[in-house]
Amino acid sequence: MRRILFFVIACACAAAAVALARPAPAAAGWCWPNCLGYGYLGPSTSTNTGCWFSSGEVCSYYGSWFNMGLSKTCYPGCDWNYNTTGVVLYGYENHDRIRGRFTARGAVTLYVQPNELGMSGALRAQVTWYGGPASQLNAGGIG
Amino acid sequence: MSPKLKVALLLVLTTSAVLTGVLVREGGASHDGARISNAGGPAIAIHGLRLKLATIRSGHVLAVRHGRALYRMQLANGTPCFGAGPAASLGTPGSVVCPHGGFPSSGDPVLDLSVYEGTRRDARDFSLFRVEGFAADGVAAVHFLRPNGEVALSVPVSGNVYSAADVPKGSIAGFAAVDKDGKRLWRSP
Repeated sequence: MRRILFFVIACACAAAAVALARPAPAAAGWCWPNCLGYGYLGPSTSTNTGCWFSSGEVCSYYGSWFNMGLSKTCYPGCDWNYNTTGVVLYGYENHDRIRGRFTARGAVTLYVQPNELGMSGALRAQVTWYGGPASQLNAGGIG
Repeated sequence: MSPKLKVALLLVLTTSAVLTGVLVREGGASHDGARISNAGGPAIAIHGLRLKLATIRSGHVLAVRHGRALYRMQLANGTPCFGAGPAASLGTPGSVVCPHGGFPSSGDPVLDLSVYEGTRRDARDFSLFRVEGFAADGVAAVHFLRPNGEVALSVPVSGNVYSAADVPKGSIAGFAAVDKDGKRLWRSP
């Protein structure tokens, strides 16, 4: 009963997180898989757009990004501390390097600006699978 | 539907609602005794995030370390958020994490905001670019670990915040929280 209730609450949190993660309207934007829902990022996922890693990564086009956001759900399940076993790196990349922060949290909303990672200029916003099962997430960037 | 059945149904629904409330409170990740006792400085205005649907209007600076300000904030719905940004521009965090399950908990005492960098495309091999984050009461240091488990960097926690001026080169494969006696309390996945 407790687990079912926990799952229901987690789903509600996830739904709220999707709404919260959507960045404010801006001149330029990128969303994955789209601006309304979630996709699964696993070791074989790719946007096939020349990201740093040929698989296990989704990335935007090159742009001058102001902020990128990520909403990650409890899929395939959260422990009692709201952690999943799927680890992702979120941040930015250019031709020389990829930088970001790691998270395994479920029911979480995260934002990071390029200068937080010591990056500027033309960048791709990215989310990379690092370990564990696929993560269910919605990512977006505003320029 | 008979009156008795209606009353029984009402009782079941009421009990469920009460139980739900109790479980939500008791099951909250931040309600298991783990805490961050550093309340920070006075509330300051937070701006520059451009997050219309995740509005954060104010927050508290928990610490300023190595030119970085570390914040504790809150969404309008009460969800706690933590962030960091340049100390030269207080009130403008450049990164925010809002764990909807709360933070901290005894099974999740560290919220790492460290930045990692990779320069190889053929391997998921990452090194540290910057080290900073938040830790629950009782965590005395955060150890950053090599792939073989060796400690590459030990960063002391003070006021529930950790930060390092310099970072070592080479691969990092996780981090661990240790208490004042050096006992490992938790390790990242």
